[in-house]
Amino acid sequence: MLLRLARIEWATVISTIALVAFGVLMLSTTADPDTRGLENQAVQKAVLGTLGLALAFAMAQIDYRGLHGLAAPVYLLGVVALVLVLLVGDFDLGARRWFELGPIVIQPSEFMKLAAIVAFAKYLSDRSDSTRSLRTVMVSLGIMLIPASLIFLQPDLGTALIFGAIWMATIFVAGARWWHLLTPVVIALAAFPFAWFFAQDYMRQRFVTFLDPGSDPLGAGYNVLQARISIGSGGWLGHGLGQGSQSQLEFLRVRDTDFIFAMLGEQLGLAGTIGLLAFFTLLTVQALVIGLRARDMFGRLLAIGIAAMLFTQSFVNIGMNVGLMPVTGITLPLVSLGKNSLLVTLLSVGILLSIHSHRGAAPFRQQSMHVVRGSLPAAGPRGGLGR
Amino acid sequence: METHARPVARTGAGQPRVSGTRRALLLGGAALAGNTALAARLWQLQVVESDTYREQAAHNRARTRPIQPLRGLVYDRNREPLVANAPVFGVWLAPTDLPPEREGPVLANLAVLTGERLEDLRFKLSQARLAPDTPARLARAVPRESALTIEERRQDLPGISVRTSTRREYSHGDILGHILGFTGPIPAEEVEAYRRQGVRFDEDIGLAGVERSLQIRLRGRDGEQRLETDAFGRALHELSFTPPQVGQHAVLTLAVNEQQAIREILARHLALRERGAGAAVVLRPNTGDIVALVSLPDYDSNIFTRGASSESFALLVSDPRRPLINHAISGLYPPGSTYKVIAASGALEAGVVLPQSKIHCDGRLILPDGWAFDDWLPQGHGLVDLERAIAESCNIYFYNVSGGNPYTRLQGLGNRRLAEFERSFGFGQRTGIDLPGEASGLVPTSEWKNKNLQQPWVTGDTYHAAIGQGLVQVTPLQIAGMYAAIGNGGRVMRPRLIDRMLDQHGNVAERIPPQVRGVLPISDTNLRLLQAGLYRAVNEPQGTGPRARSAHTVVAGKTGTAEYSGARDTEGRLPSHAWFAGYAPAEQPEYAFAVLVRDGGEGAFAAAPIARDIVDYLVTGDMPPLPQDRPDFISPDRRL
Repeated sequence: MLLRLARIEWATVISTIALVAFGVLMLSTTADPDTRGLENQAVQKAVLGTLGLALAFAMAQIDYRGLHGLAAPVYLLGVVALVLVLLVGDFDLGARRWFELGPIVIQPSEFMKLAAIVAFAKYLSDRSDSTRSLRTVMVSLGIMLIPASLIFLQPDLGTALIFGAIWMATIFVAGARWWHLLTPVVIALAAFPFAWFFAQDYMRQRFVTFLDPGSDPLGAGYNVLQARISIGSGGWLGHGLGQGSQSQLEFLRVRDTDFIFAMLGEQLGLAGTIGLLAFFTLLTVQALVIGLRARDMFGRLLAIGIAAMLFTQSFVNIGMNVGLMPVTGITLPLVSLGKNSLLVTLLSVGILLSIHSHRGAAPFRQQSMHVVRGSLPAAGPRGGLGR
Repeated sequence: METHARPVARTGAGQPRVSGTRRALLLGGAALAGNTALAARLWQLQVVESDTYREQAAHNRARTRPIQPLRGLVYDRNREPLVANAPVFGVWLAPTDLPPEREGPVLANLAVLTGERLEDLRFKLSQARLAPDTPARLARAVPRESALTIEERRQDLPGISVRTSTRREYSHGDILGHILGFTGPIPAEEVEAYRRQGVRFDEDIGLAGVERSLQIRLRGRDGEQRLETDAFGRALHELSFTPPQVGQHAVLTLAVNEQQAIREILARHLALRERGAGAAVVLRPNTGDIVALVSLPDYDSNIFTRGASSESFALLVSDPRRPLINHAISGLYPPGSTYKVIAASGALEAGVVLPQSKIHCDGRLILPDGWAFDDWLPQGHGLVDLERAIAESCNIYFYNVSGGNPYTRLQGLGNRRLAEFERSFGFGQRTGIDLPGEASGLVPTSEWKNKNLQQPWVTGDTYHAAIGQGLVQVTPLQIAGMYAAIGNGGRVMRPRLIDRMLDQHGNVAERIPPQVRGVLPISDTNLRLLQAGLYRAVNEPQGTGPRARSAHTVVAGKTGTAEYSGARDTEGRLPSHAWFAGYAPAEQPEYAFAVLVRDGGEGAFAAAPIARDIVDYLVTGDMPPLPQDRPDFISPDRRL
């Protein structure tokens, strides 16, 4: 047990804790001051974060390879949940994404992300000899498209696109041919005019707003513009915690979820935003490193999938806050209010820790120590970046 | 774990079991590049452009609300208030609180509750949306019950509230309608122009009378409240407050009791006629101060601010006498014989005739081309000099001195010089009274006739102009001003309706001094001759105006019977307006006046008695007896 604890990947843990702490801080400034104890959203997040982190530590002790057998049933369970949520889910904010079970709200699409990562990893690691075949690519594409389409129907374009990104990253590392990967991209670009024609109004609106938020400052462009004003007015060090007219006077809407980054930018300034970005970068890089050091292809692809999920979500969300990406309704993992997202992300961190702590026996570790100590080209006969 | 039955390679230097390292590193590089781009963007927003966004954030939270000042009041000469700002229930809208998708039902409800027209409410809403932070008034004054209903139904009427508002209430609106005018909503087509002057669309502005001519000064200047508000427009606290500058108060030159009495006198005389209409203007000759300004029929200012029934509006609009127009300043009429003094003064000054020159009047003058010009007295006046011509209103005399006489070779004054004298008395131009809608009238000339009627000027035109007929058009106010100038020794004064403006504490903010518009180009000697003629017209047995004679003072004046084209009566005469204009006392006059009875027949019978009653009242302070109780009463249908 102690041995395993010593194998905890601390950089991952620290960046995770830091990001959750950022979220708790931000939520505490917007929480209803009348709420006490567990009613307070910041306290809830802190408690759930702590529990989730404890769960992640526990997962680190269990071999991640147990997931291999669970992949199919979990995937199927997720798809069934997605179908059910479309049929009998609770309608809110113009979409059908949730099951409300008393005080607990379950958002199947969040859990599906993890289920899909596991499914990709299993399928592609099982076929590590044939990843260059078109058939493997097509089957994995199907594995991705089933949940993505169901989520697209909710409608939740943003989350559906995350599935695409995860799939892309996983199959890329798994070894698919370049043209197998580029073809769908080219098709997607070529299909854009048709997609525009069939797209729902809110999607077109968001795209137009992304290109020119000033076109309708009180309408669709409002949030984008206010987010930019919030971040920009923060300056170097921000207005201070709980300060800042943009978020405190609620010019900034959806500040607890989609635009929590903008609130952070206003209150903590460049110091806060760069700090947060640094922890996200650290977390992403650590996930990749864990993947590189994994003992098997299953572990590597799992870590790559998780890294892709973390990076895509944080990049798209921050990008949308600073006006570099269109508004897609993707929250900032670990930081935003959503409990489903927090739990799933912490479970992912748990998987990462497990992959790391089970990365292998001494020779493998020596090799990795070697990598850390020496320069990358010395990693082995295949060289590295230097070649 | 069957699939993991394969042994895991752990031999360090051997080929790694796991593949894709380079591709994973490539992904890592892409992620780093992406996050670097984000960092660069953050630098741009938070360091490079930070000041701009800080400014926008400050602009976001501060809201400026205009505070409307209370409208200034109007007093009469004795400081009696003529108007008050009465509190009423107004219906207000906070535009941001009314979601666009609920506009339809909310406006429909309001239309029923306030009685406002739906299209008006829509227009106001569209205007209110232009300044979403400022509450806008949708309805000026609603009854108490409606106000309570609106308050009770707030759930159905988001953004709508009832707040106190004010309405102009005129304490003597019934007798001062034409002078005070009224306030009301800005006409839709003028909203934009007023906005540029800083007047909001939901304000009431002066639409007529003094309310209109003094609009800017009565209104005052907006104050300003700057509030910190949240994104939903809720005010959190005040950042600054600039109080509004209350509008100035106006003090008129007239006294309500005199205006009331003179209106009453005119009304009593007009009441003897079917659909009687007329005007009376009384001035102080030396200052031009308005003592009374009456145009009948008139209207009550209050019906416009209280919201009158549509029937009474329809009556006002459909009445052929046009009660909404102040005929004392806007009505144009031929002046008739009251105008003859001008030709007389011109002829004297130009040396056409000497004061004692006599001209023979045999009742008719036939020009060589066959046109005949009659005197009003068929048998003629015989030999008349200037004073007698004025006193007895001999047309033939004025034909001779104005247009000349081809048989006696008398060179007349001529059209051009006559027109100059007309203008010197103030005709053909506005007097400049502080009321909107004043007409300037017409001094006809050959150029004007050529241009507008495409006809040449003939001698007959000059004849007609000399006796105030034909193309000449004047307002009663201009005639009163003319007689004031003759009475005061030759100064044509600007009629003065506003004496002074007061600030909110009652201190004088501005005095409006008497203003001399011009001086008559007439020597004192000649002016005295005119005055003598006017004295004799009233006070000598042969004069035309004995019915203007007063038992209490000496009146000087001139009758006028101004024919206009219309249906002739049974004796073949054209319809005519009856005039009497003059001043009293004849020496050192205190009052100058003009009385007009529209379609009143002979000035001597219809207008002169009214002038006498007015003078009697002004001198004694008592109301004269009713017209039909007088011994010399002549029924209006019994004309000469």
